[in-house]
Amino acid sequence: MPDFESGGERLMHWGMLIDLKKCVGCHACTIACQNEHNLPFAMKYCKVAKVGPVGEYPNITAYNITTGCMHCADAPCVDGCPTGASRHRADGIVTVDPDKCVGCLFCMVVCPYGVRQLNEENGIVEKCTMCFNRLDEGLVTRCVETCQLQARSVGDLDDPDSELVKQIRKHNAQPLYSYLGTKPSIYYIMP
Amino acid sequence: MSEIKKTACHFCHMNCGMLATVENGVVTKVAGDPEHPFNAGAQCPRGASALDHLTHPNRINYPLKRVGERGSGQFKRVAWGEALDDIAARLAALKAEYGAETIATTGGTNRTDDFARRRFFNLLGSPNVVHTAPVCWIPNFLTEAASYGWAAFDPEIMGAKCVVVWGHNPGASYLPEMRGLLQAKANGTKIIVIDPVYSETAAKADLWLPIRPGSDNALALAWLHVIINEGLCDYQFIDDWTVGFEELSDRVEEYTPDWAAEKTGISPELIMESARIYALSKPACIQWGVATDQLGRGSSASAQARVALRIICGNLDVPGGDVMPGPHPTFITDWELELNDMLPAEQRAKQLGSDRFKLNSWPGYQLLTDNMLRVWGKSIPAEWFCEANPSTVFRAMATGDPYPVKACIVLANNPLVSYANSKLVYKALKNLELLVAMEYWMTPSAMLADYVLPAASWLERPVMTTTYGVSDWLIASEKAIEPMFERRTDTEFWRELGLRLGQAEYWPWETDEEVFKYRLDPLGLELESYEEFVQCYRMHFAEREYQKYQTKGVATPSGKIELKISIFEQLGYDPLPHYVEPPFSHEARPELAAQYPLSLVAGGGFMPFFHSEHREMTRIRLLRPYPRVAINPALAQQLAIKEGDWLWIETPTGKVKQTAFITAAVAPDVVQAERGWWFPEKEVKDPELMGVFESNINVCVDDDPDTCDELCGSFCSRGIMCRISKVEGND
Repeated sequence: MPDFESGGERLMHWGMLIDLKKCVGCHACTIACQNEHNLPFAMKYCKVAKVGPVGEYPNITAYNITTGCMHCADAPCVDGCPTGASRHRADGIVTVDPDKCVGCLFCMVVCPYGVRQLNEENGIVEKCTMCFNRLDEGLVTRCVETCQLQARSVGDLDDPDSELVKQIRKHNAQPLYSYLGTKPSIYYIMP
Repeated sequence: MSEIKKTACHFCHMNCGMLATVENGVVTKVAGDPEHPFNAGAQCPRGASALDHLTHPNRINYPLKRVGERGSGQFKRVAWGEALDDIAARLAALKAEYGAETIATTGGTNRTDDFARRRFFNLLGSPNVVHTAPVCWIPNFLTEAASYGWAAFDPEIMGAKCVVVWGHNPGASYLPEMRGLLQAKANGTKIIVIDPVYSETAAKADLWLPIRPGSDNALALAWLHVIINEGLCDYQFIDDWTVGFEELSDRVEEYTPDWAAEKTGISPELIMESARIYALSKPACIQWGVATDQLGRGSSASAQARVALRIICGNLDVPGGDVMPGPHPTFITDWELELNDMLPAEQRAKQLGSDRFKLNSWPGYQLLTDNMLRVWGKSIPAEWFCEANPSTVFRAMATGDPYPVKACIVLANNPLVSYANSKLVYKALKNLELLVAMEYWMTPSAMLADYVLPAASWLERPVMTTTYGVSDWLIASEKAIEPMFERRTDTEFWRELGLRLGQAEYWPWETDEEVFKYRLDPLGLELESYEEFVQCYRMHFAEREYQKYQTKGVATPSGKIELKISIFEQLGYDPLPHYVEPPFSHEARPELAAQYPLSLVAGGGFMPFFHSEHREMTRIRLLRPYPRVAINPALAQQLAIKEGDWLWIETPTGKVKQTAFITAAVAPDVVQAERGWWFPEKEVKDPELMGVFESNINVCVDDDPDTCDELCGSFCSRGIMCRISKVEGND
């Protein structure tokens, strides 16, 4: 069962690294995530944006960027949730407890990344869960599993020797819009 | 009870390995197989949609027989036996009246066990088997086969110093291949992409050559010119193993970078720089791309020039170069299953288009086979490599000339969308006395059929991958579940029909698994069953051997690698690389230049779709609800076009509409339209036929045999003169 309680001894902090040098914007993460979470057709925890091409033909560049919940350490949605539905797990994953969410949409207003959505079918605000149920079982997230380009990985941000942290350091990966100050757990290798 | 089945995705011919979780006979989950060499545990969006596909409410689940007018949409459910009995009886009657050649078949890209199709047709006596082969791989493969006895289609990207990705966008088509490219790039391999469009792959390249659509041939010739004139060839290899280098050198003298710059729109400096990078990076490989098979006239000539490039640079069949597999020595290949010897010579001679497009029909195939048998002991399959010409077959259906084609079995194909000149295809299908379609869905083409038969999808069937029957490896997968409802595999269909037409002695196997086990038996593994192979081995790769010309010889008439291709000469074609002007260009048709100022690329794709497939699947369709035509911002501004506007795309052949996608990825005088469009949500009946003529770009693509590739009959979908305009009002 998911652990919706925060606190306790922090053993690790789940984070993700997305390599935009590799991503080709194929939408596999979007679709696989929809299937994993049995989402309505129009709902996407994981979105793909095609950026560019920027410039004038033929002097152009382009890349793709995939976004889901940033699982911020200083998460405005957790701080602002009036019912306590949005919480941090001990491992840093931001969750929404469907039993506590009343669909007030406040978290959607305060999330600077715009990644939360109202599920019209159940009236609850949802978002990427970082597949915590899969992580708890020792699996990787569905988006990591499905990515043919191996552009995504998950691991422990608190462990300086984890492959994730090594790769983040090696490529000087950064969170998206880190100036917002919410300390996201999702890092990007920029193209 | 829960078990994991080792299945293979069939949504493209990568056939990635999938693990299907089956609980009490129901597939509950499908994930990538981490042990599979292609996908390494991953899935593309198509593969990830497998369960949506398996259980989609619109799937064809029972045999349907037409009861109203053709195209009226009135069908009734019938039993398989009843359908097959009637189809067999009608085929027999047509054969008796018009000859076996009156029965044709069409197929799409390799998604079926097509040895069974060919076996059935060889036994039936008809040579009129048609695929989309001429516009996909076959001009390249057969040119290579004529030059060095097989195709070097296995580029060893990981060992290469330079990879040329020519007219190919694996970033939106073959994701496992794209992963390899990116890994190679990380290791320092130079990636050169040649594409008029700044594609997903071009965006990751070290060097992108923004080529004018349709001018690939000119670029390849100029590369030859540069490499030969600058002395960058592998002369030892040329001396030891090739014939025709002198003639080639003389021939390419005229194809200077300046000459090519005018045709390709690429500066002479960039042509020279890229040619040097390719020639000086050893080993290097040139990946196959579909675009150059779709040049119409000159498709094979373009392949010929590229074939010469890899030969003179010494990249053929070396580690990190263009590796040529050859047939697997022991397992039973597709060719061995086809029974081509059963087709009499007088029937071979009736193959439509074989008098004109000789390389990929019986005249060329026979020459290639004679040479291959000498060196390899086996040949390439007739399926794909020895076919009737699509344009000629559809004309025969429509007109009865040169002889009547009265019946067609459409399997894994939606001809109204897959072939050029869609309105001619429509006329052809409407004129048939018997049309049978085996399908997942009701497509526009199936709607015109007399029978629509339910096809099993990949979770419901075993899959054996042999790369169109030409690889020296095989990868086998089992089915996850028995076919749902009354769906069947294509092998079952051909066999059942064959039994009814007196072919019983040639169909000893009752299931796909029995056929596959028969194919595996020569491996000597003493298997109890096909499933045992899947569980214990899954794949078999022949031992990799490089420079096989040294040990096996070369499967050409001279026994050498031929830069001057004698088989071409024997068939009456130019044996040396040469320039052929693109058939629908301003160069070829200056009188139309003012009316049709733009150049159309009619082959655009969008990742989750595969050709004409997947439009029914909501999850995927929502990613791309409408077809898009890519236009440059400057052109959009000039014509006051806004993003999302519906636009007419018009060529001398026809016009369709797609929505505007304004992007700097294409040049100001180029538009790229998406292929494969039809709308399952629209009126299904004739004449609307799910909007098959509204946005289907093949309506605008001509297939006049005079404009098709002289050797393989490929129609031209790259660099067609066109114009665009805004759709006004309720048009």
